Amino acid sequence: MAIKIRCLVLACGNTLRGDDGIGAQLAEWAEGRFRDDPQVRVISRQQWTPDLAADIAAADSVLFVDASAKSPAGRVRLIPVSSRVDTSAPASHHLTPNQLLGLSRTLYGSIKSHAMLLTVGVSSTELGETFSAPVEAAIPRARGTLEKAVLRFLGR
Amino acid sequence: MSQTITIDPVTRLEGHGKITIQLNGQGEVENAHFHVTQVRGFERFSEGRPFYEMPSLMARICGICPVSHLIASAKACEAIMSVRIPHTAAQLRRMLNLAQMVQSHALSFFYLASPDLLLGMESDPKLRNILGVAAAKPELGRAGIGLRRFGQSIIELLGDKRVHPGWVVPGGVTEPLSQEKRDKILAMLPEAYANVGMALGAYKQIAGAFKPEIEVFANFPSNYLSLISEEESIDFTDGTLRLIDANGNIIEDGMTASRYTEVIGEAVENYSYTKFAYYKPLGYPDGSYRVGPLARLNIVKSMGTPRAEKELAEFKQLAAGPVSSSFYYHHARLVEMLYGIEKIEEILADSRILDKHVRATAGVNRLEGAGQAEAPRGVLHHHYKVDDNGKITWANLVIATGQNNNAMNRGVLQAARSYIKDGKFSEGILNRVEAVVRTFDPCLSCSTHAFGQMPLEISLLSADGEVMDRIARD
Repeated sequence: MAIKIRCLVLACGNTLRGDDGIGAQLAEWAEGRFRDDPQVRVISRQQWTPDLAADIAAADSVLFVDASAKSPAGRVRLIPVSSRVDTSAPASHHLTPNQLLGLSRTLYGSIKSHAMLLTVGVSSTELGETFSAPVEAAIPRARGTLEKAVLRFLGR
Repeated sequence: MSQTITIDPVTRLEGHGKITIQLNGQGEVENAHFHVTQVRGFERFSEGRPFYEMPSLMARICGICPVSHLIASAKACEAIMSVRIPHTAAQLRRMLNLAQMVQSHALSFFYLASPDLLLGMESDPKLRNILGVAAAKPELGRAGIGLRRFGQSIIELLGDKRVHPGWVVPGGVTEPLSQEKRDKILAMLPEAYANVGMALGAYKQIAGAFKPEIEVFANFPSNYLSLISEEESIDFTDGTLRLIDANGNIIEDGMTASRYTEVIGEAVENYSYTKFAYYKPLGYPDGSYRVGPLARLNIVKSMGTPRAEKELAEFKQLAAGPVSSSFYYHHARLVEMLYGIEKIEEILADSRILDKHVRATAGVNRLEGAGQAEAPRGVLHHHYKVDDNGKITWANLVIATGQNNNAMNRGVLQAARSYIKDGKFSEGILNRVEAVVRTFDPCLSCSTHAFGQMPLEISLLSADGEVMDRIARD
């Protein structure tokens, strides 16, 4: 029998665009940290496409992980995500966490016990495979926040 | 006083483009252009690389159709190596390309086009998107997601990655198919059949409401080009090219990849970074042609699979000769998805599909090679030259979007002239002009996808630059 996914870590980022790769980097770390826990699933993509709504529906809770151009460089934030869709944001084949959560609810009746977005403020998204100093310095804090959130979602 | 309307960017496309519409003093449309505003540099920076690296490099061109690039590139490399790949490798590549076609067509139809088709061209633009479709027709939203996941899952099972799999290499593929993977794919088929059946049914129910759009959405006589098998059936991976005219007469047949390089030219227009492919014997622009689902269904005599065969017969009833309205690209896309699912099932039943011999090896035996495959949106052509050490000295790619470029521009002009009167236009009219381009499902991005972060603004300017009217989508 398939084991129920209790926490989905859904990351977004491009590892070739400097700080934008922080989401993918954190996903890779989470993959290793929760390797032996079948209740945790980690997915990392370069963009969040509508088909991920089905993966969200299959999990009890979801932690979105992304870079943020709006936050100060290196700032780690953990904020709740509403499934009430903001229709003012454009929607095509690249959706926001809010839109994905709403799509999952509309199509699959999926309601999450927890839905949060973890972001790290970026400094540079120019071509390159290295992080800026503020983002590099924020990695331990971001990993700690991610770990605590997942454990909380799992009720531990 | 002349005026120019600019639509920038065109939305719900793969990549970045804009449309300009020039009005004369009476407010009538004089001309219109579809501009591709991004630059690709793959041909240049592949120079100096070993030829065997080309498939994995070329796959990075696109996040939607990397498999077609992989296959066309591998075939060009195999022409340089002078090898014939094992039967099983050819079948596995065929399955991979079909899986990509299904997921790409699902994206085009459900995520990009269905908001116009299911909610209406004039519907609230804030809701005219996949979220609006999901709210209005949840069963179709689930079908679209299901078909996209079907294609992506097969790509991931075969190539270990759902985007940019490196499994296709010069000479074949790196790994054979396992029994376990075959069984997993077989288990996905019933749901895929149900989803595409639902989509075809829904499309046929609503298509009749779009007669005005069918009339003016790039609806004109043209030539058509696609791959075709020896049995005159559809073929996405092998076969040779056939070019037909607007009446269905064969202009050239049995065109191999090397012949293609002799007869297909590329013209340049100063308003677009994408070239305009044409058949040299007819010159430019008379030698322009359309590619992709509409062209393929216009050219083939059969689909080669039972359910798609019935759908092809129905499609052919739409016109006495080739179906000329680009609106029907949507219909053709759905028929091809059905074919793809059937063909994958057929390939999995091949008694040799689990064979371990899936790769041929060789060095440089020729200094030039060309390969071709059908991408979801049309024929894709790769052509390379190498030195004695196998390093690329020259490369040229002809992509589907360039081959549809002339038709897209003519289509934009045709729709603009039909809808814009007295210099007045509405958001719904703007959307229809964009929707003409969407029928072709052009892929402009080549791996960059930024739509959604940019605002849309259309300005009506007087000849001296004064803003006469403006519509903005924040």
